[in-house]
Amino acid sequence: MSSPLSSRERGRRTRPKVRSWWVAFLASTLVVATFGFASVASSAVAKKPTISVWVDSTRVPQVKAYEKAHPGVKIDMVIYNGNANGSGVLQSKIALDNRVGSGWPDIVFSEENNDAASLASSQFNYPAVLNKGLVSKKVLGGYAQGTLAGCTLNGKVYCLRNDLAMNVLFYNSALMTQFGYSVPTTWQQWQTIGEEVATQHPGYIVGSVGDNWDDDIYLWPSECHVDDVVKTDTIDINGADPNCTRATQLIDPLIKDGAVTTDSVFSSTFGTTFNNKILMMVGPAWYGQYLFPGIVTKGDLAVADPLSWGSGPTVTGEVGGGLWFMSSHVTGAAKTLSASILTWLSTSYGSQGISPGYPAYVADESSWIAGQQASGLYSNQIAPVFAKAATEVWSGWSPVPWSTDSVFGSTVVTGLNSGQTMTSQLSAFASQLADYAQSDGYTVVTKP
Amino acid sequence: MKSAASGKDPTPLDATASLIPRLRRRKKNGVAGYVFVSGYFVLLILFGVAPAAYAIALAFTATGGHFVGFSNFVKTAEDFRFLPAFENVAEYLLIWLGSLVVIVLGLALMLHGIARKVSAAFRFIFYLPGALAGAASVLVWLFMLDPTVSPWRLFLGIFGFKNLGQTILPGHLPLIFAIIAFWAGAGGWIVVTYGALNNIPNELIEAAQLDGAGAFQTALRIKLPLIKKWITFMLILAFAAGTQLFVEPQLVGEASLGLISPTWSPNELAYYFAFQDNNFNYAAAISVDLLVIGLLCAAVLVFRTKLFEVE
Repeated sequence: MSSPLSSRERGRRTRPKVRSWWVAFLASTLVVATFGFASVASSAVAKKPTISVWVDSTRVPQVKAYEKAHPGVKIDMVIYNGNANGSGVLQSKIALDNRVGSGWPDIVFSEENNDAASLASSQFNYPAVLNKGLVSKKVLGGYAQGTLAGCTLNGKVYCLRNDLAMNVLFYNSALMTQFGYSVPTTWQQWQTIGEEVATQHPGYIVGSVGDNWDDDIYLWPSECHVDDVVKTDTIDINGADPNCTRATQLIDPLIKDGAVTTDSVFSSTFGTTFNNKILMMVGPAWYGQYLFPGIVTKGDLAVADPLSWGSGPTVTGEVGGGLWFMSSHVTGAAKTLSASILTWLSTSYGSQGISPGYPAYVADESSWIAGQQASGLYSNQIAPVFAKAATEVWSGWSPVPWSTDSVFGSTVVTGLNSGQTMTSQLSAFASQLADYAQSDGYTVVTKP
Repeated sequence: MKSAASGKDPTPLDATASLIPRLRRRKKNGVAGYVFVSGYFVLLILFGVAPAAYAIALAFTATGGHFVGFSNFVKTAEDFRFLPAFENVAEYLLIWLGSLVVIVLGLALMLHGIARKVSAAFRFIFYLPGALAGAASVLVWLFMLDPTVSPWRLFLGIFGFKNLGQTILPGHLPLIFAIIAFWAGAGGWIVVTYGALNNIPNELIEAAQLDGAGAFQTALRIKLPLIKKWITFMLILAFAAGTQLFVEPQLVGEASLGLISPTWSPNELAYYFAFQDNNFNYAAAISVDLLVIGLLCAAVLVFRTKLFEVE
């Protein structure tokens, strides 16, 4: 709000005219000087391009590692919020850059797995096509089967995956032994244990629904059809799908009993409230390095295969994972250089070895796992669980130009916070998704 | 004045002699006035009028630049996020403007009438939060609203709020944003209103008191009618600023990791259209909607209260 006081003249100055001339003169001198220097500077470095790289704070060490390994390359690193939680910051910057015709980041990291669909659309036209000479076939072939699916549109690969963020079941092995539970393999078993925990060990939790990505944790693995692009520009959104309600009906009683919390896992007090009180939690692979250290005693954390629904093949969901894009607007020497930086950041162990997520690039996986295992956090072997889960991500949850998570947050999570049940909020969730889909030109269908 | 000081009766010659420099001075003052205004005028054209004209041009055209009439306005108004956004802001405005008028005037009148001895200290205290820039003040409020870290967690606990998500439920947001706006903006208006009250000649107030008016009567029947135009001025500016609500919902949304719709207010919806859908024309249409609403409200208030009439 503009305060009228700020613009009120105080009337003490006796010669405003003279002063304003001076101010104008000084200001114009500054402007000329700045632009002058800028143009001199830019002509001086014209031969050695500076590559601009935008990352979230989590990815900063990876870029720093590149700079250390390649001291001759000039990187201009910009830290932004990683486009997290449907904030759309990246889209807003690209839209502005498109408008002025310059300023695009040469390389950008996004936490939002939907971003290939959005950024490569005719609205933004931002990313370079990587599989037409920029990145070698060998590198592209080095990714686990299906992991570049979200980056691939009409046969063109627009991004490289940073890490795989498939959900697995984390559990506290010491507590499970102490309480006498065996590790569940199905969602139904998980719920039974949850009910028992609520009565026998109140205060302990088996999960959380307080964040806007929890649709990826509970609805995606349940094959809930609210985000299924069945053919180009046609999407299946059905909140009444039994696959959706079977998940929410399982969770609702647990929320009521307190075995599933509605606190955000990144709220300031989550760590203290649930210190060594998380019995189980389904979550993405990166929870291991990013969420649990400090909350679970070292050596007590274990992972198990994603939960199944008893019949049919086991599938899971994923939360984020991160994508590396390169700008289609880079030309000349900067183009090859950018492509090599992009490749290094997303595939080299120098970069992936320090990433909190399970590398999408197969060659880095075993070393990364070895590093994780050596950290002493886990009580069992994570390699077989992660490797298997990575291949089980259900394909019926498609990349779309809007943020499904954001809609889940503003409908289901806020509903839970106001005392509603998850099941009762499904229709609001689905109808708002349908609104978004329609306003983005999709035809919404409802498959039973 | 000069001749009065010399102790002589002014002769016609003296009068003429003193008139010439006075006229000259007046002319000079006129120039100084233009110089003062020029800086604002240039900025107004560059950052106020020109962008508004650009927005109007965008609002009536499509991406290719061809004229499309009111199509952008119709399409944005039909969007599923349009009505809720305007409802949210209307609710917020009702609370914010209502509290602004009642509480700001009440406090200013109290400071002016009763608590004159301590009024300087109080005016300073009221103004203090306004010294925080908009975004910074929202961040302060994020801490206040999060029951897990708030110094007022006991108070929030009384309402049953256990986490930030429960405090910022959609139904609470208009009130919360109004409180933030009031906390940050009311102090400035209290100072302005106090200044306006100081403009009232003492004779008037004394006369009223001689006629038997108490503090309450003087405030209600003498002071309030005399500062009516200031109230109008305050309402116009507060209304325009209020309809453009953006920083608060945007920041609270980001801080809660996305628990608030990214299109909570019309300005946010315009932002969404411009930058998520890359549709600057739709965004411009909404900004023109807001401009028209602001102008209409200002016009009504200006004509109703005869704001620009010189007595």
